[in-house]
Amino acid sequence: MAPYTNIPLSPAELSYLQTSLSATPPIRPDGRSPTQFRPLVAEADILPSANGSARVCFSDGTEAVVGIKAEVERTGRADVFREGESEGEDVNATGEGKGRNEWLEVAIDVPGLRDDDALPVFLGAMLSEALGADGALRDRLWINARFHWRLYVDILLLSPPLSYPLPLLSLTTHLALLNTRLPALLSQGDEDPLFNDDWDASTHLYPRPSKPSPATQKPPITLLVTTTGPNILFDPSRDELAVAESVLAVSAAPTASGSLSVVAIRSVDPPSRLTAAGVPREINSASGATATASAGEVLAAREKDEGRGVWRAPRGGVGRKVVAEVVKMVVAKGGVGEEVLAGLEGVET
Amino acid sequence: MAITVLPPAPAAPPPNPKPYHDDADSSPSDDEMDIDSLPTTKSRTNTTIITPGQTVTDDPQWMRGHGTTAAPDSSTIRSTLAGTLQKTNKLLSVVPLRARYTPEIGDLVIGRIVEVQARRWKVDVAAPLLANLLLSSINLPGGILRRRTSVDELNIRSFFGEGELLVAEVQGLFQDGSASLHTRSLKYGKLRNGQFMAVAGVGGGAGVVRARRQIFTLQARGGEVDVILGVNGYVWIEKKAEEAAKEKEEVGINRLEQSTSEAVYSSQNDEISEATRRDIARVAGVVRVLVEGSVKVDEENVRRGYEAGLELDEEEGVVDFLNGERGARICEMVLSGA
Repeated sequence: MAPYTNIPLSPAELSYLQTSLSATPPIRPDGRSPTQFRPLVAEADILPSANGSARVCFSDGTEAVVGIKAEVERTGRADVFREGESEGEDVNATGEGKGRNEWLEVAIDVPGLRDDDALPVFLGAMLSEALGADGALRDRLWINARFHWRLYVDILLLSPPLSYPLPLLSLTTHLALLNTRLPALLSQGDEDPLFNDDWDASTHLYPRPSKPSPATQKPPITLLVTTTGPNILFDPSRDELAVAESVLAVSAAPTASGSLSVVAIRSVDPPSRLTAAGVPREINSASGATATASAGEVLAAREKDEGRGVWRAPRGGVGRKVVAEVVKMVVAKGGVGEEVLAGLEGVET
Repeated sequence: MAITVLPPAPAAPPPNPKPYHDDADSSPSDDEMDIDSLPTTKSRTNTTIITPGQTVTDDPQWMRGHGTTAAPDSSTIRSTLAGTLQKTNKLLSVVPLRARYTPEIGDLVIGRIVEVQARRWKVDVAAPLLANLLLSSINLPGGILRRRTSVDELNIRSFFGEGELLVAEVQGLFQDGSASLHTRSLKYGKLRNGQFMAVAGVGGGAGVVRARRQIFTLQARGGEVDVILGVNGYVWIEKKAEEAAKEKEEVGINRLEQSTSEAVYSSQNDEISEATRRDIARVAGVVRVLVEGSVKVDEENVRRGYEAGLELDEEEGVVDFLNGERGARICEMVLSGA
């Protein structure tokens, strides 16, 4: 994927950031702990004409609005036939395993970027991948053998993409899906669907936790995790992303048993790859080096330095151990994923 | 707790909600305000905000100043900005709530190189136009005083490359309002060993203000930390350079060449201890909460904010990052000390 922007940081800044973030414990530029998120402002149910909506503002000034609209659609003829064949043995009316991923449409609008630019397309793919991965959402869209809901998830980033907007969009989508309500179905079986026009009687797309079954399903969240040196950082700011050695997007969703499980994981090309390397002092002609070094000598000096004295773009991939550690931190009992879910649950509508 | 989710809050009421005219009955209509009762000096009590296009007055006794306009055939003065009205004798001007930095000669600014040209650099100083830094207005390494040759032109990237930060002074202004910078002093030059942050600058709103001292040393716990508050709102917080301080005492203006040491154009950081790094992060946090709390950023407030942050940490027994409630408390402590 194309990087979202070139980084306008000087080699000295990059080197300072990298050394600070590699310390144990890491010293983040804003003084947060590695797993701490920047405080965010969130509200849900803000658009009266949408089935579900949410707005989230991060403290760096980025803001996103998500509106979810549901539409009844006739299931394609081929699907009906297929359903009809299996009707004999499968008579449950819950739609288990009958949902299809095409019924979910995710559209991302980022100001200043075209719809077919790499960033919105890639973000949209990551979000819909997470939403479609657990299969729970698409099965809820099934009404009967002939009709289904089509869900339009419209994600609008209101601010320019200052930093990689994936966590912002994911948290907003999560919040909007949590608050999505569909009209209650009155008709039965395979007849044309008839809905209750009383909005108060509508049902949540994701049922709210109730007394008999506290463990409930929730939409997935996607967290952006970066690694710098030995440290794993959550919710990286723009500067922290700029020196990240690897960037991982981890999607996790609660399972029926109440614990979190990873539904998708993607590695994002770290923007630090595109940064220019600094010039070590020994070969910088403007800072005391007498003879002008040849290109080969410069290269040799840079290799010898190994990025300790001056900044050098990180090389190589991310180790399996690191990925395992990241996943563990996200899904562990009382880990980051659970805390984020608990935080978003408390958002008032 | 890893995450704090806050409900949206309405905009804070203005710090002094009391209007400048006491009796509500005599207040003029929405479209016109009572200018005579305005205090002449710039004061914070004037909280009435004028919007672009709003009629300020149609009394011919007033003259129009910055941020206002008048049709050639009428005496009606209208605002062109969103801001507060300022009266200077018979001159009316509108001070914008928020504006970009406008360079003025003598300003200390921090800039980032965005473009390298044949004999000059283009520098981002948060002004509407990019500033120029001519090859002839920098110090050569070793302090040699000579004409810039074509060799210097070819080696221009060894002085400053794209993305690098520098502290400079505004030397002059071009016709279009863009600035010409110079770094011909020991105080100026390339920045390293520290952390950059961009806040609001001069031009309305909270942020860095023009003050007596823009560069100062903070006696932090882990060592001395230099803070450079660029008038344009760019802030640089760095570890204090040791050798520069030693040399400054010995070197006079005539021996510039010795003092312009070799490290001036280096982009290699020195060894910085973790304690100093923590201090730098803490000072950055203080500057951030000051801006968020609409407190002006100057030497005194940063010093006080740093002390307040330490006090708060001792009080609560935790070292936490400054935000929200803690930020508001620090602003309170800074303001109460004023």
